[in-house]
Amino acid sequence: MADKHILKNGMVILGEQMAEVGSATFEFMIPAGASRMEQGCCGACNVISDWIFRGAGDRDSRELSDAIDGLGLQRFSAVGSGYITIGSALEAGSLSEALDLYADIVREPMLKDEQFDAAKQLAVDNVMSLDDDPRQKVMIKLREQFYPSPLGRSTAGDVDELKALTAEKSRELIEENFNFSETIFSIAGKYEFDSVVKQVKELFENGRHKRPRPLQIVQREREYLHIHNDGAQVHIGLMTGTVKPTDEDYYNARVAVSILSGGMSGRLFTEVREKRGLCYAIGAGYHTLKDAAGIMCYAGTTPDKGQETVDVIIREFNKLSEGITDKELQRAKVGLKSSLVMQSESSGYLAGANGSDYHILGRVRSIEEIKSKVEQTSVDSVTDFLRRNKFDKFTAVTIGPESIKLEA
Amino acid sequence: MEFKKRQLDNGLVIIGELNKAAKSAAVGFFVRTGARDENGQINGVSHFLEHMLFKGTEKLSAFEVNEAFDSKGAKFNAYTGEENTVFFASVLPEYLTEISRLWSQLLRPALRDDDFSMEKNVIKQEIAMYKDQPEFDVMDRCRKLYFGEHPCGNSVLGTEESIDKLTAEQMRGYFQSRYAPNNIVLAAVGDFDWDQVCAVVEEVCGRWQRQDVTRALDDFGGSIENGRIAKANLAREHICLMSPGVSAQDDRRFAASLLDSIVGDSVGSRFFWELVDNAIAEEAVMHSGPMDGTGLFYSYIRCSRENVEKVLEIVKKVFSNLRADGITNDELRKAKNKLLSHLVIKNEVPSGRLFDLGLNWIYLKKYRKLSDDIEAIKQVSVADVNSLIGEFNLSDFTQFSIGPGEDGS
Repeated sequence: MADKHILKNGMVILGEQMAEVGSATFEFMIPAGASRMEQGCCGACNVISDWIFRGAGDRDSRELSDAIDGLGLQRFSAVGSGYITIGSALEAGSLSEALDLYADIVREPMLKDEQFDAAKQLAVDNVMSLDDDPRQKVMIKLREQFYPSPLGRSTAGDVDELKALTAEKSRELIEENFNFSETIFSIAGKYEFDSVVKQVKELFENGRHKRPRPLQIVQREREYLHIHNDGAQVHIGLMTGTVKPTDEDYYNARVAVSILSGGMSGRLFTEVREKRGLCYAIGAGYHTLKDAAGIMCYAGTTPDKGQETVDVIIREFNKLSEGITDKELQRAKVGLKSSLVMQSESSGYLAGANGSDYHILGRVRSIEEIKSKVEQTSVDSVTDFLRRNKFDKFTAVTIGPESIKLEA
Repeated sequence: MEFKKRQLDNGLVIIGELNKAAKSAAVGFFVRTGARDENGQINGVSHFLEHMLFKGTEKLSAFEVNEAFDSKGAKFNAYTGEENTVFFASVLPEYLTEISRLWSQLLRPALRDDDFSMEKNVIKQEIAMYKDQPEFDVMDRCRKLYFGEHPCGNSVLGTEESIDKLTAEQMRGYFQSRYAPNNIVLAAVGDFDWDQVCAVVEEVCGRWQRQDVTRALDDFGGSIENGRIAKANLAREHICLMSPGVSAQDDRRFAASLLDSIVGDSVGSRFFWELVDNAIAEEAVMHSGPMDGTGLFYSYIRCSRENVEKVLEIVKKVFSNLRADGITNDELRKAKNKLLSHLVIKNEVPSGRLFDLGLNWIYLKKYRKLSDDIEAIKQVSVADVNSLIGEFNLSDFTQFSIGPGEDGS
């Protein structure tokens, strides 16, 4: 069962102890993700997540990096729709020193002018490199097309907006969005919860506290976007809406996605790859933000097979509402439950999953709770859900030499 | 943690590291065969064969195989490299015996003609997919340029042409010659029943016939050539550098790993400070790649077309400074801390531990505890790393680049 403590300023501390490990992973979820950036600043969060590491507290960029490496921290950072997430996996003995370092980064980054241009250039380069990675680019574009604006906004950014970004503007965005009352700190592995709470409290309780700016959410038309690229394959991204984790049908939806693409016996793999040899890479998964969710599907194939691939995929999505078998249900259940237990061996997974649960649900689900909810689904409950929630409207993005036609 | 080992009469080795505290268990068949064991006529066969194992046996269809794994909630996959083909799965402890039985059966596949023809399409799609990933493509081409006619230059995937020409008969011949029990190790890690796993493996694999399996093990110094191809649809320059390194059997492999972290870790390394921190390159990493009887250091750098000259100038300076002045105590201390925490965290989970256990046996024919590796890393001195830099000149690199320009220019 997860540990939880909320500081006076609203910052949430989550923890999950793991027996038999000597390591821990912690992360700070700072509410400064892509959707929180002002209009005209798309990608600023990428510049910021680099810039804050270029010197913090009384350490310059080099000294800070040396201090992190000196502790052997396996650092990570990621930019999502809602949050910038930064953290480290580490040997438990280094935790207290690591938290002090990260507190400097989150609270007191130096944000020196002379470090800004390099941080910005790397963010611009990162967007340009996406042209050489169509598989990743198609999924970024797909989220942008599917989710209401600005929730699906590109986490990489927009080259022109990045080029126009100034150090001054970025400092403002940090001041506005590095809001500790909305920050989630999550840790898993080997740690003492009381001492973690004490340290985080001392470091953050009196920190920046602001009321977050409400987002203006605008629904998008579901449409098809094709980006021409003379590559070897056409990279296909398809997404259709489904229920959020707060919905009572959530576990029915997860089981349905698992039947579609939970393993190599899933319907998509069987129909697209095994029976027709259309693709090497084919798969679908559940994807959610706090305010919207969907099923995302990727397939990569040569242009001559693009249309057939899309037709087969959409047919399989449509066929789900005709019913599922008990065998499929049982495989989906055991697959979901096994994944859960195996993922829970990793402190990195637990810290991330707990943080995300809290953000979306306002609480952390236990493994037992999830297992029991998965177990409660039945052929009837999943079929009933699928009949009430047909997957018939798709947002699509393709990148490649030729476009495709979406069936009406 | 308890180590177990058994060898069947036909030479198949079964090893296990039992950890009753684990929540899962992992099992893998490590077959000592890969692209370097192929010739031009059958290039790509090892990888294609890896796919064909999932197509089932005389008694199991492809769908039944997938269903059997999925019905146990297994996370399963396989990979083929230059010198090993590995089939692995992670499961909850109660399923490990069954999954070990399933893999054991699959290691004697039916290799049906119609499955072969259908899977050829999938392989060709996989080749096309990697063509759209210049980061991968450049490594493959650089390896070919570096090794020249040496078999370690063979592409794992093969080419569309080599796959088109390959016959099911050639694949069966290759299978017969390489999947001998004495060329295979089964490793299991985590919470599982050792006696049950041994019994199942012996029951299924005990009748396989031992035979002589050989591999050419010549070391190779690299061609030191330079190549580039242009592709009109690319935006960035992708550069790969390769130079000689230590083999997987060489005790200096730990010093080599520390050197790669000092020179080319993604953060905090010399490459990072000289190339990435100042945004001259977007990415610049170096790795040590120990192999069977030979080894490499290889780097991957991504930058704008305009910065290529500057990048290469800096890389050469990093390499020549290392040779002139060696590394510092502080660099070694940080590299050790990073490597040790990485190693400990990876090995805490059975699915991570499996690969070190299995590959150590493949290359060294012995068991190494995690603490042996930790101790070996701790023992590496500045002088050890400097002597490695003296012996393996990083400046003698083969270079291949893929970047923007008119196709083929």
